[in-house]
Amino acid sequence: MKFPDLHATLFWVLAIATALSAISVVLTQNIVRSAVWLLFSLCGTAGLFFLVGADFVGATQLIVYVGGTLVLVVFGVMLTAQGPFISMKTSAVEWAFSVVAGVLFLGVLVASISQGTWVGGFVAVSPADSTSAVTLGESLLGVTDATPPAKLLGNDNPDQLLERTRMSYLLPFEIVSVHLLVVLIGAAYLARAKRRRGAAA
Amino acid sequence: MSPITLNHYLALGAVLFVCGVLCMATKRNAIGVLMGVELVLNGANVNFVAFAYYLRDAQGNSVFLVEGQVFALFVIVLAAAEAAVALAIVLNFYNNHLTVDVDTAEELKG
Amino acid sequence: MEHPGLLYVAATLLPLASFLILLIWGGLRNFARRNKATSPALDGVYQILGGDAITRTPAYIATAAIAGAFVLCLTGFILHAQDEHTHGAQPAAHAHDHKHDHDAAHADGKWAAHFEWIRLGSRENDSRGALALDLGFKIDHLATIMFLMVTFIATLIHIFSIGYMSDELQEKVEDHHVHTAHGHLERRGRFGRFFMYLSLFCFSMLNLILADNLFQVFISWELVGICSYLLIGFYYERTSASNAANKAFITNRVGDAGFVVGLLIIWTYVGTFNFDEIFARLRSPLHDSHGAVPLGGAFVRANPGAAEPDGRILKLAVPKPGEEAGSEVVLFPVDATEGHFHGVGHGRKFLRSEVRLSPDLDLDGHGHIPYWLLTVAGLGIFLGCVGKSAQFPLQVWLPDAMEGPTPVSALIHAATMVAAGVYLVGRAFPMFTREALLVIAYTGAITLFVAATIAIVMTDIKKVLAYSTVSQLGYMMLALGVGGWAAGLFHLLTHAFFKALLFLGSGSVIYGCHHEQEMTKMGGLLKKMPITGLTMLAGVLAIAGTPLFTGWYSKDAILVAAYGFTSVHGEHMLLFLAPLVTAGITTFYMFRMWFLTFTGEPRDAHVYEHAHETPWLMTVPLILLAVCSIGVAWGWPVWDAEASAMEKHVHHAQHHAVYTEFGTIVDKDFHEGALPEESIRQAGQAGHTLVGLLALFSAGMGFLFAFAVYKLKTLDPAEAKEQFAGAHDFLAHKWYFDELYSAMLVRPALAVSGWCRDFDRVVIDGFANGFGRFWVWVSKWDGLFDNGVIDGLANLLATMAYGVAGWFRSLQTGFLRSYVLFLVLAAIGLFVLLKYLVSVAVAG
Repeated sequence: MKFPDLHATLFWVLAIATALSAISVVLTQNIVRSAVWLLFSLCGTAGLFFLVGADFVGATQLIVYVGGTLVLVVFGVMLTAQGPFISMKTSAVEWAFSVVAGVLFLGVLVASISQGTWVGGFVAVSPADSTSAVTLGESLLGVTDATPPAKLLGNDNPDQLLERTRMSYLLPFEIVSVHLLVVLIGAAYLARAKRRRGAAA
Repeated sequence: MSPITLNHYLALGAVLFVCGVLCMATKRNAIGVLMGVELVLNGANVNFVAFAYYLRDAQGNSVFLVEGQVFALFVIVLAAAEAAVALAIVLNFYNNHLTVDVDTAEELKG
Repeated sequence: MEHPGLLYVAATLLPLASFLILLIWGGLRNFARRNKATSPALDGVYQILGGDAITRTPAYIATAAIAGAFVLCLTGFILHAQDEHTHGAQPAAHAHDHKHDHDAAHADGKWAAHFEWIRLGSRENDSRGALALDLGFKIDHLATIMFLMVTFIATLIHIFSIGYMSDELQEKVEDHHVHTAHGHLERRGRFGRFFMYLSLFCFSMLNLILADNLFQVFISWELVGICSYLLIGFYYERTSASNAANKAFITNRVGDAGFVVGLLIIWTYVGTFNFDEIFARLRSPLHDSHGAVPLGGAFVRANPGAAEPDGRILKLAVPKPGEEAGSEVVLFPVDATEGHFHGVGHGRKFLRSEVRLSPDLDLDGHGHIPYWLLTVAGLGIFLGCVGKSAQFPLQVWLPDAMEGPTPVSALIHAATMVAAGVYLVGRAFPMFTREALLVIAYTGAITLFVAATIAIVMTDIKKVLAYSTVSQLGYMMLALGVGGWAAGLFHLLTHAFFKALLFLGSGSVIYGCHHEQEMTKMGGLLKKMPITGLTMLAGVLAIAGTPLFTGWYSKDAILVAAYGFTSVHGEHMLLFLAPLVTAGITTFYMFRMWFLTFTGEPRDAHVYEHAHETPWLMTVPLILLAVCSIGVAWGWPVWDAEASAMEKHVHHAQHHAVYTEFGTIVDKDFHEGALPEESIRQAGQAGHTLVGLLALFSAGMGFLFAFAVYKLKTLDPAEAKEQFAGAHDFLAHKWYFDELYSAMLVRPALAVSGWCRDFDRVVIDGFANGFGRFWVWVSKWDGLFDNGVIDGLANLLATMAYGVAGWFRSLQTGFLRSYVLFLVLAAIGLFVLLKYLVSVAVAG
């Protein structure tokens, strides 16, 4: 039981770190510190991804999120960071409302999770099952062997299984790519420096 | 120490999710709100990946392995796009209002 | 000359042309004057049309027109006389020899023609009448002499007016009778307008004489009425003048209502307005193809009866002689005398047993008119004449008409308006039944006496003359009513001359005395105004019936006719006595007037000092009229009252109906030998000398009395006035006719109007207002219901929606954080709901 212990240990360390960082993001009034706490939280999440064998996703998380998105966010913070905006207080009443709502929500979610029953949900995963980037790439390209058998539909018929395996994520991938491109162009357009409306008015 | 189950991950996802929501609900800084959104998406991603890792069929085959991760990838990409657009909007907002306080963007109030 | 009758048409149209020229001229000028400030072109027009100056040109145009008409009439008169001579047409006095009906001369359209003006129905298959309104002319002996008289007198009056109306030539005329806040009224002279009216008046009268049908007469009739209205109200700023004009017009309307009734009856039953056609339809032809007809010229009266099998008997049974007359008057076809036909009672052998008709004269097919309705029609038309000729009881307007300028009075009294009534009675004579004629006679008798008595006490010179006119018109009506057809119209002609003379003379006096009309302020004017005085004396002598003066001939003829009638009908003795006594009264008041005016001491030194003889423009007409008043009726021998050439001339126009009616009165039983028309004449002739002497005696008494009172002063009129104060007041108030009408008609009318007004106000208005108030009340409640309930419901919904929306609105805080919180809360809520549902589902 050495392996699970390691897994459990790592999980607890990472999960607590992640959770605490996320909570800190919420609690910190200073926006710059929030950004830093978010960085920790995202990194913790990436660690968890590595822990459950999603190496590629974890890597992507680090590269895109931590390296790209968060930098973007920090840029935003810096661009707009003027004295008054660094820390803007929210009223205690609002805080109270929000915390009550948040705790309630959390309770509801946890209650739902605890009541759920998942197929194989408690079976430990062997390291052999960890998915490599190669597998993911093949699956995106629609390589048959890489595509997991379609058991989610509850269909065990081998003949139909064949057709199921033809499924690929190439098209969604492309769509997402194009979508990303469009969004970036749009963002560039929106963020372009232009005369303030107030100046004209 | 009990073994780590799917529910642990889900709980963590829930914590992240709720943190994100609270972040959105309490931050007056638009970028803070954006961070809340990132947290929420992260919470969801944790769930996706956890499901991919844990979900098995009756024969013990992994059934959601690739899908979960692919979804997580998509979410990351979309989050990035969303962040880009949101930041562009925030900058525009800042240009127009000279502030990033979301409370000043109340033109749509009833 | 092919159509000499057209001369008269031209003579009629000349004054109309003058009227139109003056109307257009004056209208344009007035228009231009009002607008000349705005447009130079109109200013130019105004200057061309005479500018500010008032010229005599209108008078010259009008006078030339009427003088031209006179010349045309004179030519026509001569041509007519020649025509009669060459054709050898027998005088109508011997109309029993009907082979030479004087109408024959007219048949070729020479002296009579008409054309269709308005057609109201088809002439095809309608033998009853044309149902068309015609315009036409018919010139007979009466028309020729009437034309001559009217145009002559009108010409003289026009000339006289040029002098008399010269005041109107000023641009500022001061009217002393009208008082305004700034003293007397000042106005622009209306010289042209006066002559324009005169022209229209003359045209109307000439058209009336010219007309060959009742409808054309009616048109002229109304035109005459409106002209008199305009001229009497010429000084319309004076209240009295405008009242007099209204009175004349309204009084005439009363008469014209009767006229219209008559017209409607004639139109409905007879179907034509043409005089000759009416008479032809009403009265039996004198001759049929086999000779004289027993009932020729008379109304054929029958009772509606059953047809005999052979169809030869009239469906309307004609009573045999001795039986009561039938209730219906048979109408004959217009063309009854064409071709071979058998008249009523054809062939003598049926005489007194039964009256037969030939089959081709199925009289029932041509209609019949109830006798009483025919009487009513005649009385209706006579009522019109009563109004126009100021007969009792409609005489009240004529004295008031003195408000007009004096030449107008002369024109109205002599030639035009009042003559129209008498003329129409003469023209329409054949359609009057005996009952109607008796009414006419009595109306005339009452009128002549009443008016003469009033004239005794009048002090206004014009009013004396006005009442004398009324009285003389009564003579004419009386004459017509008793069968003295020629006598009545003869008197109309002679009276026209001497009444025109008297009026123009009085106008001259008034003008000479600077518009003083009261005889009490005159006296001794003969020295100052010899021509006027002497010419007026001629007029006075004429009207008094002095032998050899015109009035003598005509009045004598009237008295003879009245005597002839009363000698046969003793019960109507009054019809002779009234004119006889009145002859004396007439002489008295006329000489009273003359003595008061021209002789004795001047009663008002101021008036006397300023009195002067009038210019030649006014005296020349007087002299001419005086000559006419003396000699226009002469014949040969002059001293024979029966020998008047003018009466003979008029006599030619007499319709045979006159003889029929008044012949059979005398000779009730028809017998072949006696000519009916001779009998009344014989009766008159028999008493002629006696009548003449009586008249002379009466007139002489009147003169002596007047001479004694006003010349010799043996009697003091003031004393007599005091002694007979009651009688004097009675007469001075004109027999209280105005008061009577006021009490009988005006006040009741006002009272009824007042009641109607009160009824209107109290009942009708009350009902209407109550109704209105009721609905206002209902509406108020309805309004409350509407506002409270209907609107309340609608508003409630709206308010609720508004409130809910407002509440929801408050959720839209615009704060991002609140939205997020809501989302969270919603998610929580959904979870809870889901949990509940699942638990329910599991439990269920």
